[in-house]
Amino acid sequence: MRRPWLSRWVKPLAEWYVNAAGYRKLGLRADDLIPEENEVVQLALKRLPPKDAYDRVYRLRRAFQCSVSHQLLPKEQWTKPEEDTPYLTNVITNIESEMKEREDLEAMVVEKRSKNAAGH
Amino acid sequence: MLSRSTACRGAQRAARSQAVRQSQRRGLAAPASGSFQYQSGDAKGVKFASRDFAGPTTTLALVSKAGTRYQPLPGLTEGLANFAFRSTTKRSTLRIVRESELLGAELRAYHTRENLVLEAKFLRDDLPYFVELLGEVASKTKYEPYVYNEEVVPLIHAAHVRFLASPASMAINSAHSLAFHRGLGTPTASASTTPYTKYLDPSTIEYFSKIAFAKPNFAVVANGADHGAMSNWVNEFFDDSPSTVEVEDSKTGSEQTKYHGGEERIAHAGGNAVVIGFPGSSSITGKSYKPEIAVLGSLLGGQSSIKWSPGFSILGNAKVSPSTYTHTTSAIYSDAGLLYTVIKGSAENVAKTAATAVDAIKKIASGEISKEQVTKAKATAKFKELEYGQDVLAGLELTGSGLVHGSKPYQLDEVAKAIDGVSEEALKSAAKSLLENRASVSSVGDLFALPYAEDLGLKV
Repeated sequence: MRRPWLSRWVKPLAEWYVNAAGYRKLGLRADDLIPEENEVVQLALKRLPPKDAYDRVYRLRRAFQCSVSHQLLPKEQWTKPEEDTPYLTNVITNIESEMKEREDLEAMVVEKRSKNAAGH
Repeated sequence: MLSRSTACRGAQRAARSQAVRQSQRRGLAAPASGSFQYQSGDAKGVKFASRDFAGPTTTLALVSKAGTRYQPLPGLTEGLANFAFRSTTKRSTLRIVRESELLGAELRAYHTRENLVLEAKFLRDDLPYFVELLGEVASKTKYEPYVYNEEVVPLIHAAHVRFLASPASMAINSAHSLAFHRGLGTPTASASTTPYTKYLDPSTIEYFSKIAFAKPNFAVVANGADHGAMSNWVNEFFDDSPSTVEVEDSKTGSEQTKYHGGEERIAHAGGNAVVIGFPGSSSITGKSYKPEIAVLGSLLGGQSSIKWSPGFSILGNAKVSPSTYTHTTSAIYSDAGLLYTVIKGSAENVAKTAATAVDAIKKIASGEISKEQVTKAKATAKFKELEYGQDVLAGLELTGSGLVHGSKPYQLDEVAKAIDGVSEEALKSAAKSLLENRASVSSVGDLFALPYAEDLGLKV
C-alpha cells in the first residue's frame, strides 16, 4: 500500500458510511444497487454465471419483501463485509473496455507503411 | 479520392518486385519445380515445413492432430475450431480481426476428420506477425464462458442444422461411422444437439486445447515462405506451447483403425443420397498405402472433368439421368481410407444408379475394361493428385498431418510415381477385394424407393 496512514484514516469512515447506507441490513450487496436499465449492465447480467445470477435475484426479492413489510432482516442474515464483493463491476468493466477499444479502433487513422508509401 | 489504379499501384509493384527477386534467387541450373517439395525442420520441438513458392503471398497453417477422430468428448473439435482467433490474454478478438484486416489477410479455422487447421493467408512480408498470432492462439486463448455462449454455440448449432439439411453429408458421415465405428467414424458435425448441450463447456474445451496444442501434436506449415525465416520465427513464437501433454491425455483415436462395414438407412424428406463405401488406402505417409485405389476411384469417377461430355469414367456414362450426381472419392487418412461413391438425385434414379455402380465394380473385377480406360484413369488420378497437392490449402493440411503422424511431409512426387506404377492386374485384384470385403452402405432419403445393400449384390 502506498499511503497506509490515509487508508487507516479513511477506512473507518467508509465502513461507517456503508453501514449507514443500510443495504447490508436488507441482505443486499453493493453491486445489487447498480442501475440495470441500460445495455451495458443488461449484457453484464446476461454474462453472469448461473449461480451468481440466481443468488442475485434471491437477494433482490428478499430485500423487496423486507422493504414492503417495513422490516430489516434478522442480524445474522445481514450481508457481512467480506461477502460484499464486486461480482458485477468486474464484468461491467470488461464490457466497457471492450466498447472503448472498439471506439478507439473505429477512430484509427490508417497510414501506409513507410516502405510502400515511398515513390507515390 | 484515390482512383482504383493509383491505390493498387503500390501493391502491383510490390508483387512484381517480389516475383523478380524470386527468380533471381534461383540459380540458372536449378530445376523450376524444386520448390514443389516441402523442406521440413524442427524448432525447439515444434515441427514445421515450408516451401519457397514464388509469389507475393504466403499461406501459413497450424495443423493439429485434433480432428473429430481424436476428440475425447463429442463436439470438442468443433468447439476448439470456433474458439480460434478469439480473445487471447494479449489482444481481444476485435483487435485480431482489425489488425489482420489492416494487413489484408484472411484467417480461417476448420477441421477435418483427423486435423484441426488454423490458417492465415497474407502478404509475404507479414510472416512474423502471423507466426506470432498462431503461437498466441495456440497457447494464450482465453476460453471465456460468455464467449462460448454468445459466439461459439450459435456456430456449432448452425453447423448442426446445416448437417441435418444435407442428405449427402449425412450419408457420407453415416458410411464413415459404419466403416470405422469410433475414431475415424465420428461425424464431423454434431449429428444431434447432445454434444453441445450435454458434453461441451468452456473448461472441457480448454482441457482439449492443452492436448491439441502441445508441441508433439501440431505442425506449422507455410507455403511461400523462406525456410530460414520460417525456422527463425517458429523458434521465437512457440515458446509458450507446452512441450509435452501436461494434462491427463485420453489418447482417444490413437489406436489403429479397424474396418467394420455394414448398412444404415435413414429416412429424410429433404433429398435422396446413397453412399457405397469400401476399405480404401491410407495416405502415403501411412502404412497401408495402395495407389491402385486412387486409380480405381477415378475409373469409377462419376464427374466429368471436360465440358459438354459425360467424361470417360464408368459411372459418368452409366448413370441413369444427367441430373443424377455421382462422385467417387478415395478418402485417405493417416492409417486407413475409405473409397466411396456418392449418388444424389431423385429416389428412382439414385436406386438405379446405385445398382449400375456395383455392376461397374464387378466388371472391373472380371477384367471387362479396355486398356485405354485404364490409361485414362491413371492419367486422371495422377493429375488430380498433383493438382490437389498444388492447391495450396490441401497440400498444407496433408503436409502438416504427415509431419504430426509420421514426422515426414507429404511428398507429391512420390505419390505421382506410385500411381504411374499401377498395373491393370493390380486394379483388377483391388476391385475383386472390394467385393469380397464387407461394404459400408448408407441410404438417406425416401426409403421406400432406395435399395438395400443386399439387393445391390453387396456383402454387408
